[in-house]
Amino acid sequence: MTSSASLEIAELIARTALRDRAAFRDLYARTSAKLFGVTLRILKDRSEAEEALQEVYVKIWQRADRYVAGAYSPISWLVAVARNHALDILRARRPVSDDIEVAAEVADAGPDPEQSSIYRSERARIDGCLDTLEADKADCVRGAYLDGYSYEELATRQGVPLNTMRTWLRRSLIKLRECLSA
Amino acid sequence: MSTEGHGRSGEDDQVLVAEYALGLLEGGERAAFARRLATEPALAAELKLWRSRLSTLDREFAEEPAPAHVLERIERRLFGDAAPARAGWWNSLPLWRGLTATAAAVAVLAIGFNLMQPRIDPAQLATQLVAAIESQEGFGVEFIAVYDEALGQVRVTSLRGDAVPDRDYELWYIKGDQPAVSMGVLPMNERREIPLDADARASIEPGTVFAVTLEQKGGSPTGVAQGPIVAVGTARSI
Repeated sequence: MTSSASLEIAELIARTALRDRAAFRDLYARTSAKLFGVTLRILKDRSEAEEALQEVYVKIWQRADRYVAGAYSPISWLVAVARNHALDILRARRPVSDDIEVAAEVADAGPDPEQSSIYRSERARIDGCLDTLEADKADCVRGAYLDGYSYEELATRQGVPLNTMRTWLRRSLIKLRECLSA
Repeated sequence: MSTEGHGRSGEDDQVLVAEYALGLLEGGERAAFARRLATEPALAAELKLWRSRLSTLDREFAEEPAPAHVLERIERRLFGDAAPARAGWWNSLPLWRGLTATAAAVAVLAIGFNLMQPRIDPAQLATQLVAAIESQEGFGVEFIAVYDEALGQVRVTSLRGDAVPDRDYELWYIKGDQPAVSMGVLPMNERREIPLDADARASIEPGTVFAVTLEQKGGSPTGVAQGPIVAVGTARSI
């Protein structure tokens, strides 16, 4: 997304926070395909993903005032709202569910302004750092983030025992962090 | 299972943060970590960094056009079925929780202000509005706005809250579906009289919403609110 498009999205979020319905509709028109992509990829079921998308925009309308313009890429904030919501639905499907801090998750989606410059400079680096991991381990990180896979699901997909998957991924995360902080 | 020696607990925390950001923690483990986040700023900062880094992966979510009925359902849910454009939403907003009680107290204050004015004209009283501009969660600022049509001005008094370094509070009015219109920046701990132009005079009526946002010094440069809404209230007849 170009920075001017990003600025426009930020303005639409600000206007939505001021209860501007036309801005909200515009925001939906410009971002719903992306957010539907998020709920669909994580939930992998069209009607559930549609239902989730509906809830996501209700949250966006209700909590648009929590978005701090300039502190975070606005589309990333919107994606975080959609992703957190979809992950929460996934968790509720699994045997043990916990949704105590969903509200905090949404409210806390953006970094402090002082960290936004870090965000920008980090931008290109995660790809490079993922490339330093073995391909199957980088896939696991992507699978957890983009598909919401649990450790169990990742283990099944890779055909390894659960404990092996935990060990693999934890080591990968340490390596990733070292690379990202280097 | 691991014997990596010194720094083990710091490393464990780093892994936990990353697992939490990825969504890999579940159940009790997740809840326990969420509780630690609330009390350990270093962990919270680390989480924000992970989220920023991982958000670069967002572009891998492929766009997929949503079916038209989704927006219809969202709007029906938020704005009601055949509700008139204005009454529909502000009646239903959680923003107005608790407004009634404060509005009553504020009306008394507002009448106090009126009595200080050097004119007594029943016809003018009918065109005065008051709005209790109440703090949004966590901001702790409160204003009262009195609109006097005859004088063509809004008098705004700050009741609670502190100035924020390098920032200004900015007042907006919002009518129906229209974008918020700036009424200028507000000083703290004093009263300000804001003269209104013809557009504003024609727009402000019972039901008009006043909102205060926290903007850069001098107010939003774009004419569109950019900062968080710190307080909001709706105009009512006195």
